[in-house]
Amino acid sequence: MIKALGYFIEIIKGSIITTRHFVVNMHFHILKVLGFKTKRKGAVTIQYPEQKREIASRHRSLHRLMKRADGKPRCVVCMLCVTVCPSECIYVEAAEDPDPEIQKYPSIFIIDLSRCCFCGFCVEACPEDALRMDTGKIEFAEYSREDMVYNLEKLIE
Amino acid sequence: MNELIIILIKIICALVWFLLLTLYLTWAERKESAVIQDRIGANRASILGIRIIGLFQPFADAIKMIFKEDFTPRFSRRFLHTLAPFLSFFFVAITITAIPFGDVLKIGKQTIKLQILDINVGLLFVLAMLSLGIYGIIVSGWASNNRYALVGGMRGAAQLVSYEVALGLSLVGLIMVFPSLRLSEIVHAQGGLLFGFLPKWGIFLQPLGLLVFFFAALAETKRVPFDLPEGENEIVGFFTEYSGLKWGLFMMTDFMEIIIVSALLTTLFFGGWQVPWLAADGFHFPWGGQWLLPHGIVVLLQVLSFNMKVIFFCWLQILIRWTYPRFRYDQVMDLGWKLLIPLSLVNIIGTGIVMSF
Amino acid sequence: MINIFIDDKPFKVKEGTTVLKAAEEAGIAIPHLCFHSAFPPEGSCRMCLVEIEGLPKLELACSTQVREGMKVSTRSEKVIEARKGVLEFLLAEHPPDCPICDKAGECKLQDYYEEYGLFDNRFRESKEKKQKNVKIGKSLILDQERCILCTRCVRFLRDITKTRELGVFNRGLHSEINTYNGEPVNNNYSGNLAEICPVGAITDSDFRFKTRNWFLKEGESICPLCSRGCNIYIESHKGFARFPVPKRVYRIKSRENHEVNGFWICDLGRYGYSYLDEGRLDKICVNNGKGNLTWQECVVSLTDEIKKLHSAKKASRIALILNLWLSNEELFLIKKIFVDDLGVKNIYFVDSSGGETDDFLLTSERCPNKRGAQEIGYDLKPLDSENLMNKTDLLLIFGMPAYDPNNLAEIKALFENVKTKIYFSSHSDELCSLADIVLPTALIPEKEGSLTNVDGIVQKFLQVLEAPGECRPEWEVFVDLGRELGININYYKQFNTPEVVLKEMRKEISFFENKSE
Ligand code: SF4
Ligand code: SF4
Ligand code: SF4
Ligand code: SF4
Ligand code: FES
Repeated sequence: MIKALGYFIEIIKGSIITTRHFVVNMHFHILKVLGFKTKRKGAVTIQYPEQKREIASRHRSLHRLMKRADGKPRCVVCMLCVTVCPSECIYVEAAEDPDPEIQKYPSIFIIDLSRCCFCGFCVEACPEDALRMDTGKIEFAEYSREDMVYNLEKLIE
Repeated sequence: MNELIIILIKIICALVWFLLLTLYLTWAERKESAVIQDRIGANRASILGIRIIGLFQPFADAIKMIFKEDFTPRFSRRFLHTLAPFLSFFFVAITITAIPFGDVLKIGKQTIKLQILDINVGLLFVLAMLSLGIYGIIVSGWASNNRYALVGGMRGAAQLVSYEVALGLSLVGLIMVFPSLRLSEIVHAQGGLLFGFLPKWGIFLQPLGLLVFFFAALAETKRVPFDLPEGENEIVGFFTEYSGLKWGLFMMTDFMEIIIVSALLTTLFFGGWQVPWLAADGFHFPWGGQWLLPHGIVVLLQVLSFNMKVIFFCWLQILIRWTYPRFRYDQVMDLGWKLLIPLSLVNIIGTGIVMSF
Repeated sequence: MINIFIDDKPFKVKEGTTVLKAAEEAGIAIPHLCFHSAFPPEGSCRMCLVEIEGLPKLELACSTQVREGMKVSTRSEKVIEARKGVLEFLLAEHPPDCPICDKAGECKLQDYYEEYGLFDNRFRESKEKKQKNVKIGKSLILDQERCILCTRCVRFLRDITKTRELGVFNRGLHSEINTYNGEPVNNNYSGNLAEICPVGAITDSDFRFKTRNWFLKEGESICPLCSRGCNIYIESHKGFARFPVPKRVYRIKSRENHEVNGFWICDLGRYGYSYLDEGRLDKICVNNGKGNLTWQECVVSLTDEIKKLHSAKKASRIALILNLWLSNEELFLIKKIFVDDLGVKNIYFVDSSGGETDDFLLTSERCPNKRGAQEIGYDLKPLDSENLMNKTDLLLIFGMPAYDPNNLAEIKALFENVKTKIYFSSHSDELCSLADIVLPTALIPEKEGSLTNVDGIVQKFLQVLEAPGECRPEWEVFVDLGRELGININYYKQFNTPEVVLKEMRKEISFFENKSE
């Protein structure tokens, strides 16, 4: 019986919480409708396609490949990103560059974004700072999986 | 002839009221849950770019529901499968006939009762119809020919039958106090005053009865925290094999049950259409003053009062639905058989003792 | 045997060994770059410094011989400090090339830096510029900046091949490895240079930039390209989950075995691995219109053919053309079934005619198991198609990666004359469309068994690659056939693995009796 009473108190408490939320939020909603400016808002919702949340500077978004001064990719095909990638979604193939100072450049560089989990390990691993995830692009949904596979041209922009 | 037309008009008015309220209850549920959870809620449905806080959402929902594929599984019992949602819907919809919306409206010589059918066993009729709704559940579970649906249906039947008992018993005290089963008389009886100032509502005469009735009625609506028959997110319920309009009917039945429960609560325990201290000719305040009002206004106030109360209880039920998690099955049964039924019996005995003095 | 102490632990070691070797045997690794067990110590890298009690200075472990009661410490503070110092000097002129260096991941310099270094560069001077891409041989590319002048390459060409193509030029900071007058390294063992170079100074253009070595899985195998049977590692790619890799095998490395090949393998074996991936046959093809058959059905239909001929006393109309890529076990099973059980006499061997030998490892027999066939009791008759023409009803023929064109023409002519031709082949070639049934077989790295090399050493090999498609090892097929034929079922029932077959061979053939595992 006493146990049941304890439940009962908790039940009341629960509804007090939800009622409080309802009343407080309703209060702000009504103030807004009446044209008052309040610091707090009735809802924390961001109206997504129209409003966008500001992306933090550390946010990991779509990858991009960096370029050297002469426009060639900075990547030297060390394959460290391939090695570290937990989703195995990067594929790189090397070709011999005539410049002995560069030697190795990517002839194929593919990131399959449909598998990528945006962990950012590839960026951390890259010894040449050739790969970054700072484009701020987060909307790149496609209609087919194939279109989610980004190649060198698409990544280097 | 005149009578017939009046009844027809009453039926149409009541049904429109009922369906509109149901429709907007879905909207209210979305919005209320959103406000409780610090969200905005559905606000995108628009007509020609006009949104007005999502008020068109119910229509969008309805259109979606109508145009969705109405899928009947190959292995189901077709006729029963189709019949079940209509059964549910019908038995709930019909209860509205017994609910008094107001007292009488006098137009010229004609007096119109603001109630479709004033049956002398109105209360029993409502309870009976509500319990018949179980058939919708069982038949749907059975006709789906899917063991999950069947188990869900049986679970639902068990729960509803259990709470039916508590529901009925909790009202016995009330019938003892207002010695009538006619709903309009029960409301009338609540018009008097208690200790000279307190409206003589069921809540003050039958607090325990109210408590039991409220919980039992909540369980009857089959919504969270009593949504075991349905258990959409994990335990799988009786309308698993339903889609499109038929599923929509089940959904609507749920919402209509909320309204019916609210209307019953209002009628039985909160004075129905009564406004405190409002008599047929205006307000008579217990401290002596009075404020006489024309007949039309009084009727309007009464109907408004009824509506406000109903809406408040709808709000309360939605709040409860968005506050508590689902019970476990044994807890539901424990609550029904070991708490509510004994309590309602205690209530009957208590009422009897008090009344015998 | 003498007693020494390494890091305060007593060990008994052979007299005359060096501290480095003694420590290695005791399981204590001493870092070293220029020392290689194949050569006498050189002492040019200074990486192997250790502290020896009683001696004022640190000593080179690679060239100091052990003495009775010697107390060596390999991990004292002084030693660690010295290693750091040596590394710092080695790296003073070493380019930070690891990301593009093929050696990264198996580079000793890199490993030691991980272990002892991890310091920031204290040299403010710019590094000396040298040539980074010198082609010094068929498939060798030298990066002089990465070279640490350990002279392993020079010593290899001096001591092992005795061709002396490389030398150290100039002095001090400017010293560099190069060829004499641009004469390239041109011998059949040049590939070993890329392997023994402790850093990525000499890289192999066959492997260069193809992948990174940590993606490769190393499997122990035996080179089948000549009868020496050199021990090798086959390095194959694990593959990526999402992307197919262009091939399975990326490189062959030598595996130490002092009885056979020492530390080395020849270029033929090192670079001739493309047959493992190219032109493989991976499906059973049936050309006589019997539709698609499974292995089981093929074996059954073959059995039926044989039984028919056998019961008609026409076993002489069965002929076999074998090759010498078959393992000891397979040759033994064939002999048991066809010679002992059925009494077939027409057994011939085709093989690509011998190549040149080079008096070191490469033999003239370009097949791995000639000696094995001889010891099992075949008399290695070359194909004599005259003898088979019009006298053969059933021909079983075993193909191999590359046919001698002469043989091929002969076989083709023979094919027109034989009723039923069963072709076992690992590769799809011209004969595939001519035979009645073509059965895909596994190659040596894809199955288990043993080979007998030219010196009579029996070496086991294990499976290191997955057999593609429907390919099956021949020994399995013959065990099945033996069981199906029903002449000696119980005998063939015991053979579940090649090991059991080898055990049986040890019992029956005296040559194999004493051969170790
Ligand atoms: S972010 Fe993570 S998952 Fe995506 S490509 Fe980089 S390493 Fe792979
Ligand atoms: S880690 Fe950087 S340099 Fe290396 S392959 Fe990836 S992108 Fe290229
Ligand atoms: S030789 Fe070794 S240390 Fe030098 S760049 Fe290559 S991997 Fe790095
Ligand atoms: S090229 Fe390699 S093996 Fe030759 S001296 Fe330089 S580091 Fe040593
Ligand atoms: S290994 Fe001893 S000096 Fe190089």
